[in-house]
Amino acid sequence: MTNHWIDIRNSDCIMIIGSNAAENHPISFKWVTKAKERGAKLISVDPRFTRTSSKADIYAPMRSGCDITFIGGMIRWILNDMQTSSPAERAKKYNMTYMTQYTNAALIINDGFKGWKESGAAGMFIGYKQNTEPAPGKIGSYDKSTWKYANTTNPNVDAALVNNTWTGWSELNPKCVLRLLWENYKDFTLDKVEEVTGCPKDIFLKVCQTYAATGAPGKAGTIMYAMGTTQHTYGTQNIRGYAIMQLLLGNIGVAGGGINALRGTSNVQGSTDMCLLAHILPGYLSMVNHTDQTLTDYINRAKGAKFPVTPEGLEGDKSASWWWLSDEAQNYKKYMVSLLKAWWMENATAGNDFAFDYLPKVTKGHDYTHIGTFESMAKGIVKGMMVWGQNPAVGGPDSQGERHAMDNLDWLLVSDLFETETAAFWKRPDPESTDSTRRIDSSNIKTEVFLLPAACSYEKQGSISNSGRWAQWRYKAVKPIGEAKPDLAIMDALVLKLKEKYAGESGPKADPINKLFWDYHMTGEYADEADPNEVAMEIHGYNVVDKSPVKNFVSLKTDGSTCSGNWLYSGMFTTDGRNRAKDRDPVDASLNQIGLYSNWSWCWPINRRIIYNRASVDFDGQPWDSDHPVIQRSNGSWLGDIPDGGWPAINEAAPGAKYLPFIMQTEGVAHIWGPGRAEGPFPVAYEPWESPIHTNLVTGVTNGDLTGKGTPGFNNPCCYVGDLEGWNKKGGPDEFPCVGMTYRVTEMWQAGQMTRNHPWLNELQPEVFAELGPELAAEKGIKNGDKVKVSTARGYVLAVAIVTPRFHRMTIGGRKVDSVGVPWHYGFVGRSSAFHSSGNILTPHVGDANTTIPEYKTFLCNIEKV
Amino acid sequence: METVERKPKSTPILHYVFGAPPVPGEDVVERYSKPVRILHWVNAVAWIVLFITGLLFFVPQFGGGAVGGWSGLFHRIAAVVMVGWAALYFIASPRSALSGVREAFKWGKDDIGWLQAAPAYYMLGGEDTMPPQGHMNTGQKLWWLTVLGAGSLMIITGALMWFFKDIIPSGAFMWSAFFHDVGFIALLTFALVHVYLSVFHPKMRGIFWSMWGGKVSAEYAESHHKKWYDKVTKGEGS
Amino acid sequence: MAEKAILYDATKCTACRACQVACKQWNDLPGELTTNRGTYENPPDLSENTWLKISFTEVGETPDNFRWLFARRACMHCTDAACVEVCPTKALYHHELGFVAYKRDLCSGCGYCVEACPFDVPRSGGGGGGKVHGVRTMSKCIFCEDRITNGEEPACVKTCPTGALTYGDRSDLLAEGQARVASLKSTYPNAYLYGEKELNGLHVLYVLDDTPEVYGLPVNPKVPIAATVWQDVLQPIGWGAAGLVALGLGLNYVVARRKIKINSEEE
Repeated sequence: MTNHWIDIRNSDCIMIIGSNAAENHPISFKWVTKAKERGAKLISVDPRFTRTSSKADIYAPMRSGCDITFIGGMIRWILNDMQTSSPAERAKKYNMTYMTQYTNAALIINDGFKGWKESGAAGMFIGYKQNTEPAPGKIGSYDKSTWKYANTTNPNVDAALVNNTWTGWSELNPKCVLRLLWENYKDFTLDKVEEVTGCPKDIFLKVCQTYAATGAPGKAGTIMYAMGTTQHTYGTQNIRGYAIMQLLLGNIGVAGGGINALRGTSNVQGSTDMCLLAHILPGYLSMVNHTDQTLTDYINRAKGAKFPVTPEGLEGDKSASWWWLSDEAQNYKKYMVSLLKAWWMENATAGNDFAFDYLPKVTKGHDYTHIGTFESMAKGIVKGMMVWGQNPAVGGPDSQGERHAMDNLDWLLVSDLFETETAAFWKRPDPESTDSTRRIDSSNIKTEVFLLPAACSYEKQGSISNSGRWAQWRYKAVKPIGEAKPDLAIMDALVLKLKEKYAGESGPKADPINKLFWDYHMTGEYADEADPNEVAMEIHGYNVVDKSPVKNFVSLKTDGSTCSGNWLYSGMFTTDGRNRAKDRDPVDASLNQIGLYSNWSWCWPINRRIIYNRASVDFDGQPWDSDHPVIQRSNGSWLGDIPDGGWPAINEAAPGAKYLPFIMQTEGVAHIWGPGRAEGPFPVAYEPWESPIHTNLVTGVTNGDLTGKGTPGFNNPCCYVGDLEGWNKKGGPDEFPCVGMTYRVTEMWQAGQMTRNHPWLNELQPEVFAELGPELAAEKGIKNGDKVKVSTARGYVLAVAIVTPRFHRMTIGGRKVDSVGVPWHYGFVGRSSAFHSSGNILTPHVGDANTTIPEYKTFLCNIEKV
Repeated sequence: METVERKPKSTPILHYVFGAPPVPGEDVVERYSKPVRILHWVNAVAWIVLFITGLLFFVPQFGGGAVGGWSGLFHRIAAVVMVGWAALYFIASPRSALSGVREAFKWGKDDIGWLQAAPAYYMLGGEDTMPPQGHMNTGQKLWWLTVLGAGSLMIITGALMWFFKDIIPSGAFMWSAFFHDVGFIALLTFALVHVYLSVFHPKMRGIFWSMWGGKVSAEYAESHHKKWYDKVTKGEGS
Repeated sequence: MAEKAILYDATKCTACRACQVACKQWNDLPGELTTNRGTYENPPDLSENTWLKISFTEVGETPDNFRWLFARRACMHCTDAACVEVCPTKALYHHELGFVAYKRDLCSGCGYCVEACPFDVPRSGGGGGGKVHGVRTMSKCIFCEDRITNGEEPACVKTCPTGALTYGDRSDLLAEGQARVASLKSTYPNAYLYGEKELNGLHVLYVLDDTPEVYGLPVNPKVPIAATVWQDVLQPIGWGAAGLVALGLGLNYVVARRKIKINSEEE
């Protein structure tokens, strides 16, 4: 989240899209309720009327997978409103200063860039090439050489836009970002939105008017989103749409605003911060790939990507570009060197490139994500797997495919509280599909499975980082039962054993392990297992010579005198060793009590509760919203939250030191134009990999590839579709006419390891169900409570039918489209009753172009009574 | 007409409480057959159990006694015994059962007369205005009617509450409870009168033994139930 | 002592059912074996092991005028409580804090309260008894008596994430409920505070944005006439009748004995 949970109560309009917060983040609704008590409006955008929608002022139905069109329609409405209003009116309704001065809306893009309507390839930007090699299974990729500013060292701005004197689009430079944005979205009229998404015009108009009202200076709107947004082949672009809209409305960096991802587990934020993902190192540093032969190669690559590029013609004349900051600071290098020191300590020196060679490197371009890993497993490349508190046999896409891939493993380690479907994959029920290549044959499965009992969160100490980036320290309440151990203790034992095994050897495989710094055993309770307090201190960082804690990441060094396991968490301790994640001061000392609670636990970065908060003030450092000030300049210092850069306000600062607010971007301004993503600087309305319609109603491209990989321009041209034979059977709309989706319920959690073993929760939601609308049910002769079969090209699920008007029939491009939804929590072990088919048996093994997150939320299915 | 031969087994204390049975040598008439007497005492015991356990159920002041379920259990056992024994009696001798029931409904001129004469008779002992009575005097017929009527009410409402609680609507259950209470009050008050008249009333002393040994003195029979006495002595059966 | 109450605001409830689970956790009640009957609502009914549940009602058509309404279902802790009225053992009684309290070890399993309650809340089956022998004690929400008499809120209130459930002095919650209903009236003209006057006041108040019927709550609930007539009319009559008869018989004995003695002496 850019903001945090409590801040939601400061909002004037909350849009919950791609999320069912009332059901899946129930505690968040405390803050939504408080906002509503203050008069805030709640908008729920969802293919299905959910428990969140039941509390909303406006419920907007939207076909699953149409966020880009829906938000695009809102963006178009806002842009049109801006353009048709007089400059004076426009400045009252929208914070034009914010938009032109703090984002790249006014910057000029290079002439060679062509959008998806002029590039010559329908639906694609300029520079596209379809992959012909059997490389990682993406349909294609872009040559982004034209996706740059006209002036790449000091981008120019459009003066008419910046001065707010323009009245028509033609008055703006044709390559000005805002004008390009208009071109990108101008077809998204109310009619078009209704045609594509199924949302009635009058409802959609209300959504636009209500949400756009938060654009006024002093008003804030927030977007709460979750997997409904991200789990699509263009999930990243869905979020980009939110970012663009929030920037147009001046809603980033302010109280009650922001782009707020509701994380799916209590500590997944912590796990992503610590880099438990294939493409990053702790603190979101770039993963080292095989082209980085030396540390210098790596740092140069970072510098190339992160060197400051300050725009010309804005009030702010300095971009921090904090990742690099300057050739003197080289922040990126500080963080990387300190990380290497933390890992190899005295064995990482200036002489050996700080042990850079010990770091395993990925092959550039290869996909190591969940989907890629399981494909590698299916190919026999990945031979062993450690699974910690995860249950991919239920939570991964194409469950039968992934379970079958696991048959190839030599060994499997599962650490969990209960026996899970993943640990029991070898005794799974026969696949519910007609694919004979996936028949289970236990006698041929040679995997050695180790099931290690793990302690649950109340049985161990450590921090949990919530969606709001707050790291709250938790304590051990009870001893783990039986032989269960905390994950840290298990890992500690594993590493020590590995060191034992490799002791006496040398060479590139043994050295990284032998020379690894690993000393977390203290005294007392932690004499024989790793002490999380010690690990936390290492993550925060200290001076290597005397182990004195550093102040924060600003104090980290490039010369190897400091270590830090994660620069982002540097600052979590005070210099006298107090762990601020343990702070519990319930007093809200923020300005006007906007709920920062800065002394309750600690958040990154350096306890800044609302990030990009320099955008919440004008050039004099005074808040746009005096009722909800985040920071405020007063007598030469900043009051309120930790400012996002402690430099003086723009008007106070000396020329050349007027820092722009978006300090992590190279240009110092926020990206409305965002060239960093794989499939485009702006979102384009692609159809999901399995779509119910034949022609993309926005790009005009017809789906030529009904059973194969996908059609660029109809689908996301860069999405991951896999390249494994026998996987990703694709269904067409004739055999599978309904739009299928998976989702969650309040009463069950994730892949169900814990909740399906709990009698009180099984009582509430005992078995898997399929929700469908009354029109579809009537046609199929399905009554409420009947047993039904939901099938896709991957397999089928047996479920209990819930026939409800909450899932009504839509008209999409003149065609009747029905939806069916299945919760994915269920599986074949545990204590829940009769039906336990895993919803993910239905989903396809395809993923987003940038993250490869699977497209769980939209596919084609059929339903019939059994 | 018989005479009592053996010395009765009763004792002076019992005589003090229940009055004296016919003395040896006295002429007696059989008033109640053995099956009838057994039926009476089975009922009497069952009813006492039902009354007491029912009191614990119904009346809040005695509610503490109902805790633990024992009173409920005995109430049910006694109910089954009462209904069961009556059913057995009916099956064993349907004719005498039916004729016994019919007695309550045979009303005539002398019954009206009884009603008019009862206050003086029972309060002051005045016999002049009391017309001759049959086997059952009017008061006994009234009692018998109450037993049959209120008893049926108790059995029906009791069965509804015990077996059909989960089936009948709540309103039906509540009214059943109400009428069960009505029946209880009617039966209790009348039972008190019955016991009083059978045991304590000066004019009826000793009649208790007719339900025990079955015999009543000829003198009593003639003075209290003349019409029946005449029939018996003429050999027409009782 | 100020009477306490629970305020349930249906407009804030998201039917997360944390209250159902908290109630089971605090009162050590087991989970029931259920199936999905075509709804999220489970268990299907209150029972000896389920003292609180949330009902789900779908009203209208999507997308324009559809509403999904949730309602709490548990003991309403009435001021004029039919169950207290009919309980023969006084296992059910009014606590000084206003709620209907319950002592399970006084319950005789008679089931009168189960039949008398106008909200159909009490359930028998506890205690392990059968149809003939043993006691099937009643179960219902007991207002977390052990918590509130120790300065805590009821478990359901404590756990509710949105604040749909609050606990406090009844007079305070009445004022809060009235204010909330007043603010809802502009958008929801049928908004209503249920429990203000019903049965002389319930200790569980409901803020509704529609009529009670739409939410499945009985309109103008009453103590059944049978219960009132039975307890308040018949019981005194019974005592009276028994007393009169005993008195009358006693009098008769005294008078008649004397009279008849005199008669026989005269003879």
